Amino acid sequence: MRKIALACMCLCWSIMALAQGKTVTGKVTDSKDGTGLPGVTVAVSGGAGTKTEIGGAYSVTVPANAKSLTFSFVGYETVTLSIPANGVLNVALAVAENKLDEVVVVGYGTQKRKDITGNIASVAGQEVANRPVQSFEQALGGRAAGVQISIPNGVLNNPPVIRVRGTNSISLSSQPLIVIDGVPVFSGDASGTDASGNALASINPNDIESIDISKDAAASAIYGSRAANGVIFVTTKRGKTGKAKVSLDSWVGFSKVFGLPNILNAQQYTDYKNEALQNQGTFNANTNAFYLTNGPDGKPINTNWYDYVYRTGIQHSHTVNVSGANEATRYYFSAGVTDQSGIIKRNDFRRISMLGNFDTKVGKMLTIGGKIQYSNELNEAAASSGSIPGAAFATAGLGRVPLITAPNVAPFNNDGTYNVSGQFIGVMNNRVGQVGFNNPAIALDQNRSNSENNRFLGNMFAELRPLSGLAIRTQYSVDYLNTENEIYLSPQSGEGFGSNGSATSSFANRKNWVWTTTAQYDFKVSSAHNFSVLGGVEQQRITAKSFGLNRIQVNDPNFTNIQGGWATPNTAGLGIGESYLVSEFGRLNYNFDKKYFISANIRRDGASQLGSDRKYGTFWGVSAGWEIANENFWATSKLSSIFSSMKLRGSYGRVGNIAGLGDFASLSTFGSGLYGQTGTLVFNQVGNNLLGWETSNKLDIGLNFGFLNDRITAELSYYNNDVDGLILNVPAPPSAGMPSSVPTNVGTMYNRGIEMAVNAQVIRKKNFSWSSSFNFNFNENEVTSLAPGLNRVLSSTSGLETVNITVPGSPVGSLFVTRTNGVDPATGRRIFINSQGREVFYQFRAASGFNFEYADGTRAPNVSSADAVVYKNTNPRFVGGWDNTFNFGNFSLNTLFTYQAGFYVYWGTYAGLRDQRFWNNSTDVLRRWQKPGDQTDMPKPYFGDNVSNGSAFPLDVNVFKGDFIKLRTAQLSYNLPQSVLGKAKISSARFYVSGNNLLILTKYPGPDPEVSSNGTGSTNQGVDRNSVGNARTITLGVNIGF
Amino acid sequence: MMKMKRILFNIAAATVLFQLASCKKDEFLNPVPTNQISDLSAFDSELRIEGQVKALYATIKNAGLYGGRLQVFNDIRGVDFVNERTNVVTGFDVYNYGPANSSGNSVEAVWSRAYYAINLANVFLAGMDSKGESVVGATKANAYRAEARLVRALCYHAMVNLYARPFWDGNGSKPGLPLRLTPNTGSANFDMARNTVAEVYTQILNDLNFAETNLPLTNANATQNVIRAHKNTAIAFKVRVLLGMRRYADVITEANKLVPATAPFVAPTGVRHALNAAFNTTFTNYTTVESILSMPFYSNEAPGTQNQLGFYYRHDSQAGGGAEYSVNPAGVFANAGWKAGDARRAQILTAASKPWLNKYTTAAPYTDWAPVLRYPEVLLSLAEAITRSTNTVDARAIALLNAVRGRSDASTVFVAGDFANADALADAIMIERRIEFLGEGLAGFDNTRLGLPLPAKPGVIAVPSTGQNYIWPIPASELQLNALMTDN
Repeated sequence: MRKIALACMCLCWSIMALAQGKTVTGKVTDSKDGTGLPGVTVAVSGGAGTKTEIGGAYSVTVPANAKSLTFSFVGYETVTLSIPANGVLNVALAVAENKLDEVVVVGYGTQKRKDITGNIASVAGQEVANRPVQSFEQALGGRAAGVQISIPNGVLNNPPVIRVRGTNSISLSSQPLIVIDGVPVFSGDASGTDASGNALASINPNDIESIDISKDAAASAIYGSRAANGVIFVTTKRGKTGKAKVSLDSWVGFSKVFGLPNILNAQQYTDYKNEALQNQGTFNANTNAFYLTNGPDGKPINTNWYDYVYRTGIQHSHTVNVSGANEATRYYFSAGVTDQSGIIKRNDFRRISMLGNFDTKVGKMLTIGGKIQYSNELNEAAASSGSIPGAAFATAGLGRVPLITAPNVAPFNNDGTYNVSGQFIGVMNNRVGQVGFNNPAIALDQNRSNSENNRFLGNMFAELRPLSGLAIRTQYSVDYLNTENEIYLSPQSGEGFGSNGSATSSFANRKNWVWTTTAQYDFKVSSAHNFSVLGGVEQQRITAKSFGLNRIQVNDPNFTNIQGGWATPNTAGLGIGESYLVSEFGRLNYNFDKKYFISANIRRDGASQLGSDRKYGTFWGVSAGWEIANENFWATSKLSSIFSSMKLRGSYGRVGNIAGLGDFASLSTFGSGLYGQTGTLVFNQVGNNLLGWETSNKLDIGLNFGFLNDRITAELSYYNNDVDGLILNVPAPPSAGMPSSVPTNVGTMYNRGIEMAVNAQVIRKKNFSWSSSFNFNFNENEVTSLAPGLNRVLSSTSGLETVNITVPGSPVGSLFVTRTNGVDPATGRRIFINSQGREVFYQFRAASGFNFEYADGTRAPNVSSADAVVYKNTNPRFVGGWDNTFNFGNFSLNTLFTYQAGFYVYWGTYAGLRDQRFWNNSTDVLRRWQKPGDQTDMPKPYFGDNVSNGSAFPLDVNVFKGDFIKLRTAQLSYNLPQSVLGKAKISSARFYVSGNNLLILTKYPGPDPEVSSNGTGSTNQGVDRNSVGNARTITLGVNIGF
Repeated sequence: MMKMKRILFNIAAATVLFQLASCKKDEFLNPVPTNQISDLSAFDSELRIEGQVKALYATIKNAGLYGGRLQVFNDIRGVDFVNERTNVVTGFDVYNYGPANSSGNSVEAVWSRAYYAINLANVFLAGMDSKGESVVGATKANAYRAEARLVRALCYHAMVNLYARPFWDGNGSKPGLPLRLTPNTGSANFDMARNTVAEVYTQILNDLNFAETNLPLTNANATQNVIRAHKNTAIAFKVRVLLGMRRYADVITEANKLVPATAPFVAPTGVRHALNAAFNTTFTNYTTVESILSMPFYSNEAPGTQNQLGFYYRHDSQAGGGAEYSVNPAGVFANAGWKAGDARRAQILTAASKPWLNKYTTAAPYTDWAPVLRYPEVLLSLAEAITRSTNTVDARAIALLNAVRGRSDASTVFVAGDFANADALADAIMIERRIEFLGEGLAGFDNTRLGLPLPAKPGVIAVPSTGQNYIWPIPASELQLNALMTDN
């Protein structure tokens, strides 16, 4: 076979040699830095050619009738240029950015993007490196079609909401599986304190080579029971052939909060609250009134509480790495340190990380290698941010405290001592009982709520290639994550006042091991039939233990940790868990002549969490692709002059989900506590022996095509994810007295949508180029059924407010609010619309008449959340991004816009901002109703009224459109020219300045519509309740290569 | 070379086979939690059976019931406290007489906690029938059943007073509560309509009668006599329940089992309940015979956040005080007959120019026991029942009133001439209850059983006994998930 080809080649050469020829000469250079490129293939189209020499020069003899030459080189764009009359043709080649030649990570292996029939989006590591983030996925927003990333708020290291093609679960997690270097790892918040501790922050983003996100069944079914929410594959860097390379990346950033609401100043507050007291009829100048207080400067105190809670955060980060490879051995070592202070005072993040990746060939058949990664992360806070799941109504939540604390009192008395009375801030001259909750200055000075992670991620592998095409590989991996939580509440602070101080420490130890063995055989039958077969077995076991101590009643104020002297020793944070997954899987890839592609995956999983008879499940995916452009008829058709490539592909499969299911969810158990100092036994969990997987069927149809020699490539997909078997924690009526809701395999839902990604090299000139990529995802979510007899599932925010509902026929987690119809111009009363559709006028003070009245003055039943309606969708229907890179000479400008649209947000904070208790208010209340005839949206204030504006139960007036476009990043960078670099003996140097969240276009009145007060919850999205704002960051950085 | 290849290949094949056949697979796939007991073995020993009985008390102690919150909710449905914090989490809406269906801390919490305890009792009773009795024998089994049924009765009583119209309204014909008497341990159709108020009361009395019959006369020691039920506990509760039904003759019958005809008033059988010499003793020594049932707290068995009685009622100048509710200066506090020297006045401190209840005095971790039922309640209930049923100024009723008053204020001795008629005596008894049980959770119960309006107080207008918000609404979650449920 090979001999024949050689003979043909020789024949061609001889034919050519005989032909009348001409000689073309020139030099091929890199378009970016102008250096000569050796080894570039220079050929007449369809004919023979030569290669450039060192320095890039070439000389080739071509037939006299040849019109053009084609220049091609691995990693660069192939160009075809016409031969000038003088026979001198110099070419500057641009680095290839067309994605089709990339290698893409799939489960248990890699494939060329060209050969892939599944749907996988890829993001290069450099896109997430050097960003002012704590974890890589925070920087993924807008980079990949069909992948929604939402940063919940400005709390450092708060895990972002990730949705791959919509929300795919109700009771379980909708976050994708994260696989790092082949290992499914811990993700989510590991912290047990007020500081968020996203486990994925262990990974230094600068160590990431690539991120591949598999979205359909073909791509993800190899992860079977965990594939329903998509799989994010992270590959860390490995050495590349060549001399040892050292590089240094450093940046420093400055961040500030943006979009904080405008609130009343001291004078406005005092006047407004007194007016509300007058309206309520309880104003009494001596015993019930608000007054200004003079500060140390003799002027009335006018405190801007934002100044005491927010700050300019400063972040810096440094990574140094060494990498290289020779024939036998590859290595990559890196060390990184980052120290970031957030926009909230005392909210800090520090990480040191070390990574070593290495592999070496032992003899001809065996490769061994491994990875060692250690990291230490400190997640620090002083007080509750009120912004992480469960904390929205924290009395001392720093998101809410500056909004509701009276501006006419100060954190300090005029003598410099804390202004505090009991647990709450002192009232100063005000003659009312309370003007705020905790004094935040004390907690921010004295308390701490820290969480420290120590994480080790490592693996060892051996790969044997006994025959050509056969690879047998076994890998053992561990992921150990130890978390130490430490909380101290000073007895002076409101948080620690009641307990006369409190110290809590707890330790959580989580261990995860994965042992994977695979065999892959690639072979051809004749030249056209290409096969790749994979089979494997895998086990994964996770064990977790946690324990701790809580101590209160401090003996001496100097003791601030549990080791000090305290009155009580009580337990804290006890927990135990284990889970196990045992799997067998296989994959077959086949292609005929690079035209027809077929792939099939199958995986059988056994999971310990499931019912005793339902442990095992089988999952599969099949897909097919057709590279139309490789067909002969295509080459001859007119279409080929328009499209440079064209591939049709489709996939279908069945995958599962168990993420977020309790380790012992299938068991009915009794727990033990104390009564009268002796042990009790209490029925505490209802299990389900028949509990099986959550299942979904995923269909994906796609078309990939390119124009202009793939200068423009595009990918269009339609998908339908039919979640036909949810696991629903079916709520029982509380009168059933069940200790827990029973996880049951009922309920259905779908996500359907269209995805589009376009990449274009818009301009490619020697000194100027513009590349652009745009992605778009339209997703429609609908719950189609719940359990028999169950027509709604309510989801609360921090257990206190229920504003999300999941009902068949609507998207998951829709807003559920009571309707209003403005403010009555005659009386200034809030008009509610009750469940009968009738208008009900509400007045907090009912000196005469009733609190709730119909228009005719007759008494109406109380309006409440019982009158709420399914109101608006919280799932963004349109999600995407637009990335542009402009290169001009040594300068480069990159901008990334991200957008989400077609969803609503409940700005619950705004209910608090108009609460008529002592709470400070939005300046919007200044347009309140004052006299008959006033047309306004702000009701007449009655002191104490927590109903009219939505504190008592959620109202439609606090629901707003969330659509936004953000300039997520804008980065201007400068590469030092080669001439300078040579003198400095460094190989590359790049300086940049970049901005994060510089611009946001939205009609949302709150700080940021990209928000989640409920973290990554599946059914309680779209809630902005007392969360801190988001950060706007400017960073300056440098990347140097030696 | 070939040999090497074969060895390596064999190693690889062995690895795969070893992994496939992993011996621990079954053990790992069927994990047993080491901090729980399986439902299959929960009745295997007396230790576990008695553990479940204690868990019933622990359940009504914790999170919103008899450990503190239920008392607070009943207190603030009266006139003697003023809300200071406008915090819905600590009952601002209950104080305003307007908690919503969805109010998580009151309407939802009390209902779900009480029904959880009821289901635990039902699970326990069924388990005793199927297994437990064979482990402990019939006598002990019935004593344990009696405790379970008493706890169930306490739960239904707590709820029927908040979520249903009082018994006097239509003589119990109004919608009551769904009576759940069988265990729920797995998925099922849980729809159940409300039984009538009368049916609920009948069940409560059945349970208490069973308890009276089968409970021991006394428990092992003074502590157990206070924290777990004995015969007199069941009788004392029947007094409260029957008083709520206005079955005064039956109140007298039951109370007479605990109260002799004349002073000294000491229970003649079982635990010898009597008044302590000093009023304050009851709140410092929690295990005296005056306490018929209390919920115990210890530093490692503390009430949860915002459930502690001391936190609610103490001013924050006192350690642990949360200053949630001050004493209403215009309430019983202003009663001229309540003299300055009354020992119960000593439990009211002035701070920030307001009076505050200082009955519960421990700071964090708040180890004051929560009183559920004290002997003076039996005395005053008996006095009231005699007065209302005979409609006379009865000497024994006066003696009972004097027993309570005289213990704290020896200078006041009521005589028949002090009362113009039976109503005046009844009013005096009601005043005495407000003074004696301030902060112990009887005010709301006393208002509704007598059909009194929920009283006007600072910032709040009165609610007539016909008002929709005279009682709590049914929880939103119950209305949504129980198709047969109806709201109030």
